[in-house]
Amino acid sequence: MTELKHYFAPTSLDQAVECLKDGDVTILAGGTDLTPQSQAGRIRIKRTLMNIRHIPQLSGITLEGREIRIGTLATITEIMEHPLVRQHLPVLVEACNHFASDQIRNAATLGGNICNASPAGDTLIPLLLLDARVELASMPEAKLYRHSMPLATFFVGPGKTRRSLCELLTCVRIPLPGEGHVAHFHKLGTRPALDISTISIGIGGTLREGVLTNVRVAFGAVAPTPVRAARAEQALEGQKLDAAIIDRVAAIARDEVEPIDDVRATAWYRKEMIHNITRRMLTHVAQA
Amino acid sequence: MSVSEKKTRIIEPDSLIGKRIPKMDAPEKASGRTRYIHDINLSGQLYGKILRSGRIHALIKSIDTSAARALPGVHVVITAADIPDQRPIGVARDHFPLKVGRVRSQRDEIAAVAAESEEIAEAALKLIKVVYEDLPVISDPEDAIKPGAALIHPEPHGADGTHLHLKQGTSIAHRGKADNIAMRFDYAHGDVVKGEAESDVVIEDTFRLHYVTHCCMGVSGMIAEFDASGNLLMYSNTQVPFLHKREFAEYLNMDPARIRIIQPPIGGGFGSKLDIYPFEIICLFLARAAKRPVKMLFTREEEFLASPTRQPVLLTLRSGCKKDGTLTFRQVHTLHDNGAYTSWGATTPFVMMQTFSSLYRVPHCDYHTAAVYTNNPYAGSFRGYGNLQATFAIEQHMDMMAEAIGMDSLEFRLKNAQDSGETTGQGMVFKSCGFKDCINTAAQRSDYSRKFKENEANRGKPGNIKHGIGMASMLHVGGGAKIYPSDGCGTILKMDDFANVTLITGASEIGQGSETVLSQLVCEELGLPISAITVVNNDTAITPWDVGVHASRTTFIAGNSAIGAAKKAKAKILAVAAKKYDAAEADLDLRGGFVIKAASGEVVVELSKLLRNLHFQDKAELVMTTFYYEPPSVHQGKDFKGDVSAAYAWASQVVEVEVDTDTGMVRMTKITGAHDVGRVLNRLGIEGQIEGGMVMGQGYALTEDLMIVDGVMRNPNFRDYKLVTAPEIPEMDIAFIESMDGEGPQGAKGVGEAPSICIAAAAANAIRNATGVRMFELPFTPEKVYRALHGQTPKRYWKPWKAE
Repeated sequence: MTELKHYFAPTSLDQAVECLKDGDVTILAGGTDLTPQSQAGRIRIKRTLMNIRHIPQLSGITLEGREIRIGTLATITEIMEHPLVRQHLPVLVEACNHFASDQIRNAATLGGNICNASPAGDTLIPLLLLDARVELASMPEAKLYRHSMPLATFFVGPGKTRRSLCELLTCVRIPLPGEGHVAHFHKLGTRPALDISTISIGIGGTLREGVLTNVRVAFGAVAPTPVRAARAEQALEGQKLDAAIIDRVAAIARDEVEPIDDVRATAWYRKEMIHNITRRMLTHVAQA
Repeated sequence: MSVSEKKTRIIEPDSLIGKRIPKMDAPEKASGRTRYIHDINLSGQLYGKILRSGRIHALIKSIDTSAARALPGVHVVITAADIPDQRPIGVARDHFPLKVGRVRSQRDEIAAVAAESEEIAEAALKLIKVVYEDLPVISDPEDAIKPGAALIHPEPHGADGTHLHLKQGTSIAHRGKADNIAMRFDYAHGDVVKGEAESDVVIEDTFRLHYVTHCCMGVSGMIAEFDASGNLLMYSNTQVPFLHKREFAEYLNMDPARIRIIQPPIGGGFGSKLDIYPFEIICLFLARAAKRPVKMLFTREEEFLASPTRQPVLLTLRSGCKKDGTLTFRQVHTLHDNGAYTSWGATTPFVMMQTFSSLYRVPHCDYHTAAVYTNNPYAGSFRGYGNLQATFAIEQHMDMMAEAIGMDSLEFRLKNAQDSGETTGQGMVFKSCGFKDCINTAAQRSDYSRKFKENEANRGKPGNIKHGIGMASMLHVGGGAKIYPSDGCGTILKMDDFANVTLITGASEIGQGSETVLSQLVCEELGLPISAITVVNNDTAITPWDVGVHASRTTFIAGNSAIGAAKKAKAKILAVAAKKYDAAEADLDLRGGFVIKAASGEVVVELSKLLRNLHFQDKAELVMTTFYYEPPSVHQGKDFKGDVSAAYAWASQVVEVEVDTDTGMVRMTKITGAHDVGRVLNRLGIEGQIEGGMVMGQGYALTEDLMIVDGVMRNPNFRDYKLVTAPEIPEMDIAFIESMDGEGPQGAKGVGEAPSICIAAAAANAIRNATGVRMFELPFTPEKVYRALHGQTPKRYWKPWKAE
């Protein structure tokens, strides 16, 4: 049973982080993960349920210098439809397009998807490709304190992140991709909507004259967290995408991941799919 | 204006049959106004909740409910010990609603609470302490029949440790069972040894059919109330109110006459409400003890855990034919995983053996099923009732045999297909039979033969997407099924002084559209628009007897019953009109709300006026009629032979797929269905029913999989139990073969179950056509198909076995 005693809906960031000092707070944003998970007993609602939806500082998608800032409350639908995202971050749109269903996309937030820290979280793979950083706010003394870290170091395990109990994820910052940047996302599941990935793959980098540099490869649902694939990245870096290199990278990717068996697939199948889909995606990039 | 000057009004002939008529309950449902059981609340009502087993197979050493009883707001807490007169339920009477001394599956009911709110009831459940002693778990039916296997329903021991051999006649729940065999079925016609000797080709394969469940959008529920005189009123989702009234009475030790069942609109049945489940009896116990109405509703997770499943089957089929394409024999052995208790799933062989013996002409057939106890969920009835499983095996073997003798698979099917006028080895008589039309129509409309050859030729070409096409056909009862002493249905028809009709029928509406089709049949008979009718079909205190909604019987049986009552009403009306207007009854008819001259359509009198005249006179009379229809079918003998249905439905379906060999993903792109439905009554309704059935078949074939590991359900939720979603639904082309059954209402036959039956079998044939790989196990999930494509699926062989 829940121990819920207080419901709190702050209207400013200061109020919210002040409340978090207590440490015994469950944060509610879109609620699309929190509701089913708490009902199924996987998440225990703490003493205070804090609804952060009324905090204006946490919303919005803006260009700040050479960075796109996406507020933690931005819904998947808002992200998909936003001109800045569509122009500069098409791979994020691709991933949002495979996210759950229309109804859930209208409520689910980016911050929620990140803090839920599912190894299969749909937005996490493109954010890793894009070198996204997460910004966290807290109030250790009387003053608001912000710091940020690369998303690649944020995840610790399924449902676990480096966010401390008294911190609030306020936004994601994504550097504008440079010229020649290509990135693609593939979600493999059993159906086109309302599905948890069996595996997901993101591949990105700068493509010039068939040569890929500054390579990013990220995989979902093959490890306790979404992961960058260092060996596959290294094998691709600076290479011209021909059939031989594509086969080699696909094989490296398969051997690099160590997935588990669960209700969705066996580890063997996941490794096979990492191989086949990596090969398919690189072939498409090479042919494009 | 004198009568002679009045312009003669002519009513042109018209018919409701075959028209597209919206379902009568559609506006309410589409606008969210339908009051399901979930929306009904009685004043003073308590909320019931059930504590289920924490173990799969264990002895219950102790139950401590004291803390739960002490919780404020809790009215009643019950365990088996509180209900000394508890009687076993279920098809084999092997199941106490509240478990006595032992739990046998994950869903088992230990205790129940009635409290002032759901939250309090749930909190109380958490306060109940149960001590278990674990027992070995049997989760594989093959283990259940091994010598020395642990027994699921062992014979009870006396205090001295010796077996208490209770007398036969007491139920399995009391006397136990010395083995794990819950039920067995053995059927034969001809001589399979002779048949095999005559065969040029013999093939044998093992097929494995998995667990799926109904996934009704409306979760199960009940409200029970005993009045001050001890009469019981139930709001129940049952599909069979009259049979259940009697059964409920048995379980409560009360007079069935004092039980009334009201059926609110239900959010899906599909066979799942054909048996009585523990929660219903427990809800009654709670209401009886609390002396207050008690409402019990499942959560979605409970709906998965504690609902029946489709019958999982392990099946080895041996088939033979001659080089010229003549079938010689079939031998079938199945192992049915009965789960911990026996419900209707165990009896699916009634239907399965019909498919093996009679879908095609087979001179020699031998069929054996053993349904064995395990610690798994138990199977109930589910649209198709074993026929999906049987058809999956048979229709793959039809393709395989055709390939083995080098014959075109269509030609092979047509050569062995039944015709009208035939009597099968099992004694089924096919009075109307559009089977060959179904095969030909489905093949032509889908361009089956051309695509089949092209796909085969393209198999080896580069590219990861392979196209496949496959066919399967089915036979199912379409005129009821004489399982009970009666397979009939009663109707009361009442006309009011505005010529509106109230049709009071025993047949329940469970979303299948029966009230619309019955209304159509009555209005057709009485020459009235569909807007002139009200249907009452949900209260045992009002409606006449009916067997219940099962076996695709409602349109046929209740339809004939409704027509019978309407004909009697019509005869009475015409007799009155004939007398009053000095005409011969035979020269009059009813049309468009008028009594007319049959030959010319000329209006004699407005029907409502005639009825008022009849009503408001010295010797007043009302038009109220009753009719009971009993189909001319027969009970099967102990050998399972006999013409069990008054008519039989046929269908052929062609499934087209795209298989992605990189991932194993199978996409269904098109289904072409040709259905012998006798006659189309409501075109909109029948299209909807067939489309829905096809999607259910698609889910069975490709995505739905209730995963049970060591007795534990691993995916009791819609996230991991994959129903088909809208974008996956293929293009559908549906053709109707109207064979005009002589006994059917307006020529119609039952169709409710038919559309889901062939899809998995046809999909298996399509995957073979696309890839060259044959799938013997369902469902065709990406990983299963990928493994098969890469030779990673060892072929399973289950050695035929039958109970001695």
